[in-house]
Amino acid sequence: MMSDQTAVAQVQPVRTEAYLDFLQMLSGVALVMFMWAHMILVASVNLDLGGGRVMNWIAHFFEATYMAQIGGPMIALVMLAHFVLAARKLPFKAREQKEMWRHSVRLNHLDTWLWVIQAVTAFIILIMGCIHMWTVLTDLPITAQKSGARIQGGWWMLFYIFLLPMIELHVGIGAYRIGVKWGWIKRSNRQFFHGLENKITLIFITIGVITLFTFYVLVKPM
Amino acid sequence: MGRPLKFNIFRYNPEDPASVPHMESFHLEETDAMTLYIALNRIREEQDPTLMFDFMCRAGICGSCAMMINGRPDLACHTKTKALPAEINLMPLPVFKLIGDLSVDTGTWFRNMNERVRSYIHTDKVFDPNADEERMSNELADEIYELERCIECGCCVAACGKANMVPNFMGATAFNRVARFMMDPRDQRKTDDYFEIVATDDGIFGCLGLLGCEDVCPKDIPLQDQLGMLRRKMGWASVRHLFDKILPGGDAKKK
Amino acid sequence: MDTFYTDLLCVGAGLAGERVAVAAASQGFETICLSIVPPRRSHSSAAQGGMQASLGHCCMGEGDCPDVHFADTVKGSDWGCDQEVARMFAETAPIAVREMAFWGIPWNRVVAGKGTYYKGGKEYEKIEKKEKEGLITARDFGGTAKWRTCYTSDGTGHTLLFTMDNEVVRLGVTVHDRVEAIALIHDGETCMGVVARCLKTGKLRNYLAKATLIATGGYGRIYRETTNAVINDGSGAIIALDTGIVPIGNPEAVQFHPTGIVPTNILVTEGCRGDGGTLKDVNGERFMHIYEPGKQELASRDVVSRWMTHHIRLGKGVPSPYGPHLWLDIRHLGEKHIKTKLREVEEICNEFLGVDPITQMIPVRPAQHYSMGGVRTNKDGAAYGLKGLFSAGEAACWDMHGFNRLGGNSLAETIVAGKIVGEKIAEFLQGYEVDFKTAVVKDAVKKQEERIDRIIKGADGKENVYEVRNAMQDQLMDYVGIFRNGEDLKKAVDNLQVIYERSQKVGLRSYSLGANPELALALKIRGMVRMALCVAYAALQRTESRGAHAREDYPERNDRDWLKRTLATWKEGDSLPTLEYEKPSKVWEIPPGERGYGVAKIICTEDPEVCGEKKPETN
Ligand SMILES: Cc1cc2nc3c(=O)[nH]c(=O)nc-3n(C[C@H](O)[C@H](O)[C@H](O)COP(=O)(O)OP(=O)(O)OC[C@H]3O[C@@H](n4cnc5c(N)ncnc54)[C@H](O)[C@@H]3O)c2cc1C
Ligand code: HEM
Ligand code: HEM
Ligand code: SF4
Ligand code: F3S
Ligand code: FES
Repeated sequence: MMSDQTAVAQVQPVRTEAYLDFLQMLSGVALVMFMWAHMILVASVNLDLGGGRVMNWIAHFFEATYMAQIGGPMIALVMLAHFVLAARKLPFKAREQKEMWRHSVRLNHLDTWLWVIQAVTAFIILIMGCIHMWTVLTDLPITAQKSGARIQGGWWMLFYIFLLPMIELHVGIGAYRIGVKWGWIKRSNRQFFHGLENKITLIFITIGVITLFTFYVLVKPM
Repeated sequence: MGRPLKFNIFRYNPEDPASVPHMESFHLEETDAMTLYIALNRIREEQDPTLMFDFMCRAGICGSCAMMINGRPDLACHTKTKALPAEINLMPLPVFKLIGDLSVDTGTWFRNMNERVRSYIHTDKVFDPNADEERMSNELADEIYELERCIECGCCVAACGKANMVPNFMGATAFNRVARFMMDPRDQRKTDDYFEIVATDDGIFGCLGLLGCEDVCPKDIPLQDQLGMLRRKMGWASVRHLFDKILPGGDAKKK
Repeated sequence: MDTFYTDLLCVGAGLAGERVAVAAASQGFETICLSIVPPRRSHSSAAQGGMQASLGHCCMGEGDCPDVHFADTVKGSDWGCDQEVARMFAETAPIAVREMAFWGIPWNRVVAGKGTYYKGGKEYEKIEKKEKEGLITARDFGGTAKWRTCYTSDGTGHTLLFTMDNEVVRLGVTVHDRVEAIALIHDGETCMGVVARCLKTGKLRNYLAKATLIATGGYGRIYRETTNAVINDGSGAIIALDTGIVPIGNPEAVQFHPTGIVPTNILVTEGCRGDGGTLKDVNGERFMHIYEPGKQELASRDVVSRWMTHHIRLGKGVPSPYGPHLWLDIRHLGEKHIKTKLREVEEICNEFLGVDPITQMIPVRPAQHYSMGGVRTNKDGAAYGLKGLFSAGEAACWDMHGFNRLGGNSLAETIVAGKIVGEKIAEFLQGYEVDFKTAVVKDAVKKQEERIDRIIKGADGKENVYEVRNAMQDQLMDYVGIFRNGEDLKKAVDNLQVIYERSQKVGLRSYSLGANPELALALKIRGMVRMALCVAYAALQRTESRGAHAREDYPERNDRDWLKRTLATWKEGDSLPTLEYEKPSKVWEIPPGERGYGVAKIICTEDPEVCGEKKPETN
């Protein structure tokens, strides 16, 4: 009549899915950190109003220490890993996509929409991010003047103006949802973090736009 | 004179080969303190006796009457028409198997869920009819009760995007049940036992953090907090296990 | 057609049905439970208050023991109960509660130190002992000498039922939900199972079982205003009555509760009046002080219900689309009190009425609440008349409630009776074999098939089932309510006989394949009217007042002539039940006396078997 749980406890459970989910979170966190750091690097061009000394110095530092040469591809790898890990949660079957879309429209519920936004932006980022990284990393060293020249070409401006909010949405929502999923964001403080997420996203988009403006208008191309 | 109400109700009878899914409209005049329980019964008794829906307690405690009310899962018996616009759309809960019209088979789903999470106290003790019960602090009893309040209505499942995509996903109600037993000192299960039950991609690691569950639960069960707690516990358990395995002497530390 | 074989078939998967199933299954017997709804939705889950067991852990329950619980139960029953059963019940209740704790109920526990409680709007202090800390505590309920009602916040029934179903899952007991038993299969001597209808597909099925248990809960839905769930229409009692052999015990013993909210009759707790709430009429005036100058609103459940009905009949009710009602006013208790001590009431009012009890009055009226009567069984739970048929829970007349059940005693009954009857059934099944006679089974199925066919085709008539039901409910509400008198009861019996004719001519208005809700009701309506007639006719015959059965024309309790239990059977072709009577108890530990509350006019009995030679018997 009593349960058989003592016997059950002997068998070691399969842990793969736990590891993968954990890694997904880590890759997410790593990418969030990177994106924020990346924004600081790029935005440093604003510090001397497009003069480029600060940005060039930072860029030079990274290249001199080979952090850009190694870190660049590393980031690409992490992004790839993140994509592979996160994509396990994405609906690839047509039926699943249809159900998810129907559900989101029907329920019209904010946090559900946030996830949909994340899933959609993910693909955009994957493609545009790769193009961008290829362009930048095959044309080292990074200097404010080179970047300025690229952006003033016009097409890159459009490219970034589009990519920027995609990234910031994906990252902001991602950080919020990591908090939710891993229980750091609770019922009691959810409102607060939700607000925080919105603010951070907005702030970063603003900085990004200012930076693009600087590149477009203030930086003197070589 | 009450407001004229228009109900657009999903109709489909899977038992009838001639039936096709469609929406049908019914009209009623609103009366004081009208709930969907009153409205639907009036429609059935006065207009269409074939209309299928489920009510039991009509007091918000049995969980029978969950349906999609203007797109949101909720208990029909505690939904007042006064709180709704004059046009009301009623659909059956998704995810669950349709029995007919607004009626779905939650019984089979929940029995399966209860078996899956082994929803009962696991102990090797034997009940002694002559001894006093094991003591417990009232505080803990209240905490357990807080999670035990789930009425298995299925709203959280219907509101979950993941459950809509992946029928085998366990759902927030299952995680809540596991959390309830984890905090119960009478249950002798260890983390590994729970790990085996919930730590999969159909389990807690499949949860996308959509929080539809949290936002619709008519009993206001703190689902979000249980989900977070479970994932963290299960995640750390796996990491600890990995370290134990790869670090020298790690295995010895285990009991 | 699908046929299922099993050792034990539990018709009903509420607390009683599942407790029996658990008892039998843990002894290795194959068990199937049937239920109209998923088991955890059974009406047991609606009980909020608690269940009685004389643990005596809390300070206000100190000195409690099964003897005191037994005495309270017998008095509560107005000496209408079976004292042997009540004794067994009181002795077993504490064990059953502890067993439920072992299975996982988060009972509220004793917290040592000072605490407060409310009575009559006043606050009192109590001090819990340190050595009892952490043991199961209890709250106060009407009609008990001690605080004895064990509880889990406001969800006692819910946690009990969920925990019980957890056991059912653990033991792997098969549950077929959305399956409704519509007839017993029997050959006049032995019960062999049931014919049931699947409420998912509408198909008929056979369940053949060595032992069959009826645990289908109450039959409150024969009344229009009832606190019972919508499926509590007595289908279990009906299939027993339909055999023509198995009697319904004490059908006239029906309990009412004064404060069901209007329109949906959801119960609001007695605590409202206990804490000082008042009842008001259409003019916003109190009236209870006119009728009961002493206790006023705080008189016992049945007394208050009676005066409320009386007052409504005088035309002082508040008109509404759902019929006249009265007001319950708790506004003067203040926001703080309502939000803390009467939280549940506040929630019900807000959620179901859109009424804020802090600023508005609550529409209420008395509603049917509990059926003491049911399938008559002996103390082992075996039904009279058919071998292999058992019953437990509210569906049964095991008879520990007599003519009035105490609050908290019915949840306790379900698990105590479930435990005891379950063990008895297991004993019964040991080595028992039954011949499932093919002819009998075929015949039973054919009868149901034909009946369904005729109803669908409207072969006997085109009566609208909902209209017939409403007509029946009106009769019971108007003439067989809380107040009863010969004239009204006679009217009810006459009218119900006409309605009975109509109930046999019900035809569907439209036909749909599958579950078909109209057909489900149409299959029951004849039986429901039979039950209604049992209630009305038995009430008419019983010319006394006992417990919940209150006759204006016979206000005294008549132990000389009516210390007996009604047994109602229905012979096929009759238009009235056949009533027989039996002595309520074989043992008289406590000879009939005064209850200490309610009207106390008693015509005494001199039966030596009952009174002994003045000295009370013990067993
Ligand atoms: C609002 C309310 C509050 C209450 N509060 C309390 C309280 O605080 N304390 C207390 O002690 N008591 C209370 N009671 C009474 C108590 O809840 C019930 O008496 C008790 O729960 C009945 O349990 P049961 O197992 O007999 O029946 P139920 O729980 O009603 O179960 C009946 C079962 O039978 C099934 N069934 C019915 N007909 C058929 C059929 N034809 N075929 C197949 N299956 C069928 C149903 O699906 C269900 O599973 C309250 C009652 C009400 C209405
Ligand atoms: C290590 C890899 C990376 C390097 C070295 C790098 C470097 C740069 C540089 C130099 C710029 C300035 C614009 C230009 O020169 O074209 C820039 C801008 C930008 N990068 Fe990257 N980047 C990297 C990875 C990424 C990734 C992975 C993403 C996102 C998928 C990204 C998104 C952007 C965006 C959106 C801008 C525009 C910023 C603004 O709004 O000002 N970058 N990056
Ligand atoms: C530099 C770029 C990126 C950053 C900074 C980033 C960041 C994040 C973060 C923080 C999360 C939350 C992680 C979690 O919930 O565990 C996340 C989730 C996700 N990311 Fe990215 N991501 C990036 C690129 C991508 C790309 C290229 C894809 C590919 C398609 C992608 C797909 C997803 C998906 C699908 C999720 C949701 C996973 C889930 O909910 O479980 N991301 N991302
Ligand atoms: S957790 Fe809430 S929404 Fe989900 S089944 Fe339970 S009560 Fe319903
Ligand atoms: S809605 Fe679903 S994805 Fe998780 S947070 Fe709730 S279970
Ligand atoms: S009918 Fe029971 S919850 Fe609505």
